[in-house]
Amino acid sequence: MATKKKIKVLVTKVGLDGHDRGAKVVSSLLKEAGMEVIYLGMFQRPEGIVKAAIDEDVDVIGLSYLSGEHLIFTPKIVEEMKKNSVDDVLLLAGGTFPAEDIPTMEEMGIDKVFRAGSLTASIVDYIKTNVEE
Amino acid sequence: MSRLFDKNAIEDIDREKDQWQKEIYQPAEGEEKVFETLSGIPVEPLYTPAHTAGMDYLNDLGFPGQEPYVRGVYPTMYRGRTWTLRQLAGFGPAEETNKRYKFLLKEGATGINGVFDYPTLRGFDSTDPFARADAGRGGVAIDTIEDMRILFEGIPIDKISTSLVTCQPICNISVQSMYFASAEMRNVPLDKLTGTSQNDFLMETVITVAPELLPPRFSFKLSCDAIEYCTKHVPRWNPISFAGYNYRESGCSAAQEVAFVIANATACSEELILRGLEVDSFAPRLSFFLSAHNDFFEEIAKYRAARRIWFHIMKERFGAKDPRSLRLRFHVQTAGVALTAQQPLNNISRAAYHALSAVLGGAQSVHIDGYDEALCTPTELSSLTALRTNQILQLETRATNTIDPLGGSYFVETLTNKVEEETLRLLDEIDGMGGIVKAAATGWIHKEISNSAYEYQQAIESGKMPIVGVNCYQMEEEELPVDLFQVPETLQIQEQKLKRIKNERNGSHVREALDAVARCCEQDGNLMEVIVESVKSRVTQGEISQTLKGSYGTWEPPLF
Repeated sequence: MATKKKIKVLVTKVGLDGHDRGAKVVSSLLKEAGMEVIYLGMFQRPEGIVKAAIDEDVDVIGLSYLSGEHLIFTPKIVEEMKKNSVDDVLLLAGGTFPAEDIPTMEEMGIDKVFRAGSLTASIVDYIKTNVEE
Repeated sequence: MSRLFDKNAIEDIDREKDQWQKEIYQPAEGEEKVFETLSGIPVEPLYTPAHTAGMDYLNDLGFPGQEPYVRGVYPTMYRGRTWTLRQLAGFGPAEETNKRYKFLLKEGATGINGVFDYPTLRGFDSTDPFARADAGRGGVAIDTIEDMRILFEGIPIDKISTSLVTCQPICNISVQSMYFASAEMRNVPLDKLTGTSQNDFLMETVITVAPELLPPRFSFKLSCDAIEYCTKHVPRWNPISFAGYNYRESGCSAAQEVAFVIANATACSEELILRGLEVDSFAPRLSFFLSAHNDFFEEIAKYRAARRIWFHIMKERFGAKDPRSLRLRFHVQTAGVALTAQQPLNNISRAAYHALSAVLGGAQSVHIDGYDEALCTPTELSSLTALRTNQILQLETRATNTIDPLGGSYFVETLTNKVEEETLRLLDEIDGMGGIVKAAATGWIHKEISNSAYEYQQAIESGKMPIVGVNCYQMEEEELPVDLFQVPETLQIQEQKLKRIKNERNGSHVREALDAVARCCEQDGNLMEVIVESVKSRVTQGEISQTLKGSYGTWEPPLF
C-alpha cells in the first residue's frame, strides 16, 4: 500500500452566526495532531461546503454551530452530500446544542456530535478510529 | 509625595518576609504547581507593603470621584446608587421580545438591554437569502421602523434607559436611527432619551464578522457618525460602548481586552476632534463594556487599571477638562465563554463570582448570564435566576457598604499595576502600527485574538486550567435539569410584515430616501443625520445596508 496519507479535515460554519472561536481553535488543535485542515471560514452554504469537500478530497467535514441553527442546516448539508454521492466522508458537528437534539442530529446523518466542552483529544481519537485508511 | 510606608519599615518587612519565605513557607515537596493569573502574570505566595512601596497614594489611587478615578468614578459609588440591573434580552419577532422586556421590568430590572438577531446585527433583512435561517436567533428581528415601534410599545422610553446592543456600526446606523425616529413619532424629544448603543467597528470587522463586510475604515466612519450625531442631538445617550466583552469572548486576555477598547476609544476621539468637536463635548458619553471572567482578582485589577489608563489618556493626550470625560464608565457582562454545557447549574455559582468581581471593581451596570447559556438562549427561569443573583449580590452580601473595598490590598494594587503595564505595552504597539483601524485592516488583531484563544483552549486540553465538569469532575450520565428555550417562529411573521409594508409604503419616498443615503456617502456627510429621516419612509434595514455597501464596497477579513 501507499505511504500513510494525512487525514484531511474540512472545518466550517454555515449561516450568519459569527462566533468562530471554536472552529478556529479546533482547526489549530487538529493540525497540531497531525491532520491537514482546510478552514473554509464562516457563512458558507451547504452546496459550497460539499463542493469544497469533493474538490479537496477530505476525509472529514467538521461543522461548528452555536446558535440553534443545527437542525436547519444539517439536513441541507446531508442532502447535498447524498446528491453528490459523498458517502465516504465523516460528518461531525461541534458546538452548543441541547442534549435532546443530539439523537435528532445523528438521525439526520451526523456521525458524531461534540458538545461545547469536549476535549480535542476525544475528537482526534474519534477521527483516527473512524477514518478508514 | 504620599508614599504609603516609611522606608525603614519597608526594609524591615522585606527582610522578615524573605526569612518567612525561606524558613516558614514550605511548598509541598516536589510540587511544581505554577501560580499565575489567567493571562499569565506570575503570582507570588504573599504580598506585603513592600510590593506597593513605590506607590504614591494621592497620584496613583486618589479618592472616588476624583483623579485618577482608580477607586471609583463616582464619589459615593454604590452607597449613593447601586449598579443598574440590566439583563440582556431579545429573541424572535419584536412582539415576543416586547413581552420579555415587560416581564423583566415588572420583576425589578432597572434598564432594558436589547439584543438583535444575526441578520439585524449584520445589516440584512430577515428575508435575505443569507438571513432566512437565522431570523430571530440570538436576538430580536428588526427590519423596519415598525418592528422598532412594536418592540418598545408600552415601555416608557422617556423614563427608562435602553441599551441597544447594535454591535456592528452597519446595524447601529439603521437600528439606532429607527429608535430615535420612533421616539420622535411618539412625541418623546431626543434630549429626553437615555441609553447606550454598542456601535463598535471592531465588532463588525474582527469579532463577529459577516458576509459582505464594509471595509474597516468605513465601518469606523459609521461608528463616528453616530457618536457625532448623538453629541449634537441626543446629549444623554451613550453613542458607543466599546465592546471589550466580546473581544474577550472571542479569545483576548484581560490586558488585550482593555488595550483594544482603549485603542478604539482613542481612535474615535482623534477622529471626532478632526471633525471639529471639542473633546469634552463627546468624551463624557463614551462608554465601555467589559467582561468578568474566571480570574477573580485579575478582573478586579483590570477594571481599576482601565480607569487609570483612560484617565491619563484623556487628560494628557486629549487635554480633556470635564471630569466626566476622564471617567471610564463600564457595563459588565459575566463571561459566557466561561460557562459550561456540562452540569449547567454550576454556572449559577460561576456567574455569581464573576459578578462579584465586577462589583468589587466598580462597574456601573451588570448583566449576569443565564446558567443555560452554553446550551441555548436563556429561558425565563434562567433569566430570572440571573436577575435574582444580581439582587442577592446587591441586597444581601453587603459588598457595597464601602467603596473600592480591595483598594490598598497589596496583591490587588500590584496586580492593577501589572495589568496596566501590559496594557500600556500593547497600546504602544498599536500606536506604532498607526492605530486600531490599521491594526484591524492588516489582520493583526485577528491574529492576536486567535493566538490567545488557542492558548486558552490548550490550557484546558492539557488540564493546566481546570474547568469543573469539563476536564475534571466529569459525570457520565448527565441529566439535563433545564427546560430549553425554543425560538418562536420569526421568519414567517417578518416575511408577512415586510410584504405588507412594501405594498403600503410610498415607492417614490423610498427611492428618495435611499438616494439621499447614497448621496451622503458620496459627499462624505454624516450618515445618521440622513438615515434618521430615511427610516421614517419605512425603508428596510437591508435596503440601507445594501446602499452603503454599494457606495463603500466590501471587504474580506483574513481567515486566521
